[in-house]
Amino acid sequence: MTTIIAQDIVTASDPTPVPRLVKMRGFGIGEGSTVTISLVTAITLLILWWVVAQTGLVAHLFLPTPAEVVSAAAAIFQDGYANASLWEHVSASLMRIFSALVIATVLGIPIGLAMGLNRWAKGIFDTPIEFYWPLPPLAYLPLMIIWLGIGETSKITLLALAMFAPIVLSAQAGVRSLPRERVNMALSLGATRLQLFREIVLPSALPEILTGIRISLGVGWGTLVAAELIAATRGIGYMIMSASHFLATDVVFVGIAVIATCAFTFSLAMRLIERWLVPWKGKS
Amino acid sequence: MLRVDHASVYFAARDKRTIHALDKVSLTIPEGSFVVALGTSGCGKSTLLNAMAGFLPLSEGSITLDGRAIDGPGADRGVVFQKDTLLPWKSVLDNVALGLKFAGVSRAARQERARDLLRLVGLEDFADAAPYELSGGMRQRVGIARALAPDPAILLMDEPFGALDSMTREQMQELLVSVWQRSGKRIFFITHSIEEALFLGTQVIVMSPRPGRIVARFDLDFVKTFVRDRDERAIKTSPLFAALREEIRAIVHQSEDLRRAAE
Ligand SMILES: Nc1ncnc2c1ncn2[C@@H]1O[C@H](COP(=O)(O)OP(=O)(O)OP(=O)(O)O)[C@@H](O)[C@H]1O
Ligand SMILES: [Mg+2]
Repeated sequence: MTTIIAQDIVTASDPTPVPRLVKMRGFGIGEGSTVTISLVTAITLLILWWVVAQTGLVAHLFLPTPAEVVSAAAAIFQDGYANASLWEHVSASLMRIFSALVIATVLGIPIGLAMGLNRWAKGIFDTPIEFYWPLPPLAYLPLMIIWLGIGETSKITLLALAMFAPIVLSAQAGVRSLPRERVNMALSLGATRLQLFREIVLPSALPEILTGIRISLGVGWGTLVAAELIAATRGIGYMIMSASHFLATDVVFVGIAVIATCAFTFSLAMRLIERWLVPWKGKS
Repeated sequence: MLRVDHASVYFAARDKRTIHALDKVSLTIPEGSFVVALGTSGCGKSTLLNAMAGFLPLSEGSITLDGRAIDGPGADRGVVFQKDTLLPWKSVLDNVALGLKFAGVSRAARQERARDLLRLVGLEDFADAAPYELSGGMRQRVGIARALAPDPAILLMDEPFGALDSMTREQMQELLVSVWQRSGKRIFFITHSIEEALFLGTQVIVMSPRPGRIVARFDLDFVKTFVRDRDERAIKTSPLFAALREEIRAIVHQSEDLRRAAE
């Protein structure tokens, strides 16, 4: 005995309903936007700051009110601080970070890839990198000054050294996580060593390399203040340090806000670059 | 002719012992044949295929393809992997065209050929899709098209349909038979399924584990009957098919029992 269940018969008069578009459920936070949550958190923190400063819970010398910081920002924006305009401070810092980033990526990506691919490269570079990268930049800062003087070279070298390691390590990890089968697949399609590198190794390592660059930018901003301890006359880090000598906490706050804004912009740009270069990330 | 001559493979196991994965296996795959290797898990089927593909050097023995010794992977042997290995950053079309790109074929020419191959496996409408938009069976078909693109002399397939449901699997078997028939390629195919082996192979080799050897060979023509009559049910329900199935099952179980007794 056979039963055939009639299908729903679609008539011409049926209104075509808009289908509900669905997607694979992700793991973790998924794709929902977190912008609102973050904004609410930011506003809450601002209010908290205002309340603590206004009620005198913390001595005024240590914690200025938001209004004071804003007016300090306006004053610095108009008249500059410590013999330089705000833009001169910011551009001096950006220049250093950018130069260091370029040096770190141009050296770091090829060295990292080579370390992932070649026993000799790994053996040679492992020792110096593993030795220096856990050191705090402040520890080798005096050496930079003694060896390279107090000009831009020593500042940029310090930043580049700090930013180099995350890029090398991530490029190396990118190569190492390449599945063996993908390599075999390319070889069985007749790939030469060079084609294997260009078509398989490089794109496979790209997501990890971009993550490494993001981390290294974070490290770079973190090292900036240290770099600008070296006899600088310009730079956001310098501005913060010199303000701290006069206990001008409002200026310190302005400096911190400027660094945070720059760092945030960089990280946003990196995320856009990531979306453009590796749209497949996490999709297979 | 692909000729495997007394091929042995020893692996280093962890505690300094050696695993004898392949023991003096000899096998020839003549022009136009469809050779299926069958056996329980761990009997050295993948090891044999990896050696043929050039991914794995032999401990002893030799493998030659049309007289030339195999000393590494190459475009003359197309490989279809069990796990799908499509590149996520390339479209389906560019994945299929990858081997032609390696060979230096111009963009227009390789895309045209890739489109032909996608038509052969029935995926011409998915040329511009990303691999993650395809189902498992579709990805496997793209894998077949990709392996065919550089026009290899032989196709090596390691359980390509192992992860598919039985209905998709039957469709894929029919597709593979028509690819085989139309392209005239030699195929070496690994499977766990006795039915699949009987249906597809012009020659079926049965392997047993520890050490991996060939314990039986069958020359068959079910697949040729299928090419002629296109009637799968008639073949699979024929008394000869059932008798062979039982015979092979007995061989597989017997080698399994022998191994257990030896342990
Ligand atoms: N790289 C390796 N190192 C050590 N031993 C290995 C290695 N690869 C395979 N072996 C061993 O060789 C034997 C044969 O393995 P092989 O992968 O060829 O089996 P198989 O027949 O393909 O099995 P399956 O059907 O499960 O895929 C197994 O005992 C396995 O443990
Ligand atoms: Mg296997």
